[in-house]
Amino acid sequence: MFERDLRRRAASTPRRTGLLAAALLAALAGTAAAPALAQETIKIGAPLALTGGLADEGHKQDLVWKMWVEKVNAAGGLAVGDKKMKVELIEYDYQSEGQRASQLAEKLINDDKVQFLFAPFGSGHTKIVGGVGERYQVPTIACVASSESVFDQSLKHLFGTLSPNGGMTTAMVKMFKEKFPDTKTIAVLGRDDVFPKSMAEGIAKAAEAQGLTVAYKELYPVGTMDHAAALSSIKAAKPDWIYVSGYTQDLILARKQMQDLGVTAPIVTMVTGPSYKEFTEGLGKLADGITSSSWWHHATNYTGQGVWPTTADFYKDFQAKTKGADPDYVHGSCAAAGEVIAEALKRTGSLDKAKLRDAIASTDIQTFYGPIKFGPTGMNLPRELPIIQVQDETIKVLAPADIKNAELIAMPK
Amino acid sequence: MRSGPLAYALLAVGILVLASTPLYADNYVVRTAAIVAMYGALATSWNFIGGFTGYPSFSTAAFFGLGCYVGAICQRAGVPMVLAWLIATLMVGAFAALLGAIILRLKGHYFAIGSIAVVEVCRLIVSSWSSLTGGGDGLNLPLLTWGPEQVMRFFLFVMLAILILSLIATALVDRSRLGFGLRCIHQNEDAAAMVGIDTTRYKVAAYTLSAVFCAAAGAAYASWTGYIDPTESFQILMTVKVPVMAMLGGAGTLAGPFLGAAAFVLLEEVFWANFLDWNRAILGVVIVLLVFFLPGGLLSLARKRSAGGPA
Amino acid sequence: MAIYSQILANGLMLGALYACLAVGFSLVWGVLNVINMLHGSFIILGGYLTWFAWHGWGIHPIVMLPVVGALLFALGFALQKLVINRVVSAPVLTTLTLTFGLDMILYNVMTYWFTATPRRVQLDLGAVSLGPVTLPVDRLVGTALALVLTLALYAVMRGSNIGRAIVAVRMDRSAAELMGIRTERIYAITFGIGALMAGVAGVVFASVFPITTNVTGTYLGKAFVVCVVGGLGSVPGALVGGLVLGLVESLAGHWFGPQQAITAGFVLMLAILLTRPTGLVGVRGYE
Repeated sequence: MFERDLRRRAASTPRRTGLLAAALLAALAGTAAAPALAQETIKIGAPLALTGGLADEGHKQDLVWKMWVEKVNAAGGLAVGDKKMKVELIEYDYQSEGQRASQLAEKLINDDKVQFLFAPFGSGHTKIVGGVGERYQVPTIACVASSESVFDQSLKHLFGTLSPNGGMTTAMVKMFKEKFPDTKTIAVLGRDDVFPKSMAEGIAKAAEAQGLTVAYKELYPVGTMDHAAALSSIKAAKPDWIYVSGYTQDLILARKQMQDLGVTAPIVTMVTGPSYKEFTEGLGKLADGITSSSWWHHATNYTGQGVWPTTADFYKDFQAKTKGADPDYVHGSCAAAGEVIAEALKRTGSLDKAKLRDAIASTDIQTFYGPIKFGPTGMNLPRELPIIQVQDETIKVLAPADIKNAELIAMPK
Repeated sequence: MRSGPLAYALLAVGILVLASTPLYADNYVVRTAAIVAMYGALATSWNFIGGFTGYPSFSTAAFFGLGCYVGAICQRAGVPMVLAWLIATLMVGAFAALLGAIILRLKGHYFAIGSIAVVEVCRLIVSSWSSLTGGGDGLNLPLLTWGPEQVMRFFLFVMLAILILSLIATALVDRSRLGFGLRCIHQNEDAAAMVGIDTTRYKVAAYTLSAVFCAAAGAAYASWTGYIDPTESFQILMTVKVPVMAMLGGAGTLAGPFLGAAAFVLLEEVFWANFLDWNRAILGVVIVLLVFFLPGGLLSLARKRSAGGPA
Repeated sequence: MAIYSQILANGLMLGALYACLAVGFSLVWGVLNVINMLHGSFIILGGYLTWFAWHGWGIHPIVMLPVVGALLFALGFALQKLVINRVVSAPVLTTLTLTFGLDMILYNVMTYWFTATPRRVQLDLGAVSLGPVTLPVDRLVGTALALVLTLALYAVMRGSNIGRAIVAVRMDRSAAELMGIRTERIYAITFGIGALMAGVAGVVFASVFPITTNVTGTYLGKAFVVCVVGGLGSVPGALVGGLVLGLVESLAGHWFGPQQAITAGFVLMLAILLTRPTGLVGVRGYE
């Protein structure tokens, strides 16, 4: 049966080879013929995870960047000295694969001649894309990387709009101890991945430093589909505070299994779970009482420069665009990332890479997302970050004091 | 089969095209050429066990990832770059020989599954041994301080060198008693053992050969990107992609795996650049079509034609 | 001691879910000799169908069980009949590559339509306590369903004409053909049943695990391990393999920390591959 098929196929193969050859030639031509057009637009390149494990986050970045570009271009473009230039955003899907991310960053720089890069979601991939930007000295703005380890390797062209995640742990321990003085022990369960791991280690360190006992601390590997064993051990340790870090799917599962197995504590924190609406939607009532920290919340009220002068302006546009969804910190931070570029162009009035890099390094602006001022490593300076809690299936802000709209409550039994 | 002059000509042209990209094309094309050379080396490596011997091995990503990590750990300990690559190659080669002696007792589907499990186990061990490997944080390597063009050219030539070495090894094996023995095992392992071929040793040799070039490529790749982590280094996707490339070109031939890798990487480029949301599905369609319409690989077409087959 | 009874209970419940996840995969592998890379995506597809019916129209997952089963059977049957049958006797590499390509397509389609957002059917039935052991009701129901479905499949394989034909084809294809069994049709039915079992596993999972395309690879990996541990192509094999894997992961997670739980599963698999390739249950008759 096989033989027959083979022969039938052989008869029609030449045409098919021709097609294949043509496709390959087209591929070569496509990659080789990148016309060096006269510079008419500001080009920003973005390798994005539109498929694969980080697809949700990639789509968020895609959404707000497109909103920003639309808004900028509707107003005539960005000011470069005394003239205005339109902005063009060039995106590719890197499929949540690091190797492809660096390859596409290279393509954006070489073929598409972008002057700036937006780094993708997550500390690991930001590191990879930042490395390419560094090699070509193309300023790279990272809006969703908060691990200090990303920014301490002397990448001089990488700038991050999130503040260091170290700021999330100490303040949280302090506040919870103040509100719930009986908090003596903490159990930590973290995903073995750059950001969740650094949060897990960070909170354990901060808790110990402030006199808490770490009753349990373990990491779970990528690809874990059941937390029952870890949670049973945590239950036996009877901690006053349970802290779990991971991606949304891990956290939904962990919370669900905590309920199933009757594992609870007066305080349950999940990072960054409640920052995402997918978390509260996936859990429904079970999300109630869970605390978290975030880098930004739309209840904050900042004013500043750029296409969205106030948080309310951004919120309104965002709701109109998404038919009523609430933006989270990824949306906020990424939407503000463009303003860093706008400001640098305005101040330098040129497209010179080195000048732009220096201008970005000395950024000191106010935006709807909050102040952006880069420290010596290229990371946004620490500030007081919101601590949030889910109450009645909505997100309440517990701190900082000026935007606080609820008090910390204990986990419902 | 003996590789004819056509295969050698194709190889020479292919390598020349890749090597000359820095003369006329921008850095992205050079990078694509380096990636083609890298996957070419991986597919050519796989060919020893998968093509010649007919064992469906899916260990490529394990060897590549271990190469990344051994190289990176050596470099971080102050070993010079090229020496680190060499150490990685030798260590992973030795590992493959030991592992091969164990898992090559399996056949068919069982071997396939066992070889995939090796990738997962390596990933999990590397990931949990954080004192040595940094765990989920990954490892940073010293970035080369040359300009981007020099770096790219350097790694293009490194990858090409690995590719050429793997091809030379293939040509040598092809002509030697080892190659003959491996093909016998492919045809009928029991019969091969009966005519006096030490099948275990032969298979272990093939498996080790399939590992060393992957390890070298992995170690070089780690130095190139400057950052590695467990999920990126041990990818199931890579472990399936490489055999697909070899099959696309023609498994068991000298030039096939390299040509398949080139065609596959270029196809990927076209899809990624042009179909933002659907690239994976399109690649899937291409794979399905290949299995149906080109089961012998690209080379089988050329061979038929040159032999004056039905056209 | 209380903690151990809890950990054993966790392991057994997880193990029953693993068995349910793997049994279709095992059947296809055993009968068709095809490693079906689509299996993980089939499970997620079943989960998504359940979630949309529940979320959009308030249909209870139990109602969706036969619907999803029928739909996935049709999908699997058609795929085998139209696509996979053409190369079903080719070497493992070919069939594996083909199903891998098909999986890329299905994965892309699902990610495009449904996005990768984790979703969950929120039944949240609470928990019951048995002495020191807490048993979540929806997992108990899932466990029961998993066992019932697996046993139902066992009954079908042993008791019906189709089942006997499948077993016959598994044991000797050419002899079966001589007996007048249309093997291509049997292959299509078997693959359909494999997809059906994956789909109903998805229904069960939808209220226990978050449903997202991100986990298709994880599910597939579990199916590998369960099949090898228990023994290929047999329903009891999948059941034993699932339960053993669930227990091993549970205990390893407790003793060595969650980081080693998955590793322990894979190491167990490699050990069994090398010492007892037919699995714990062995190749009795490919029921």
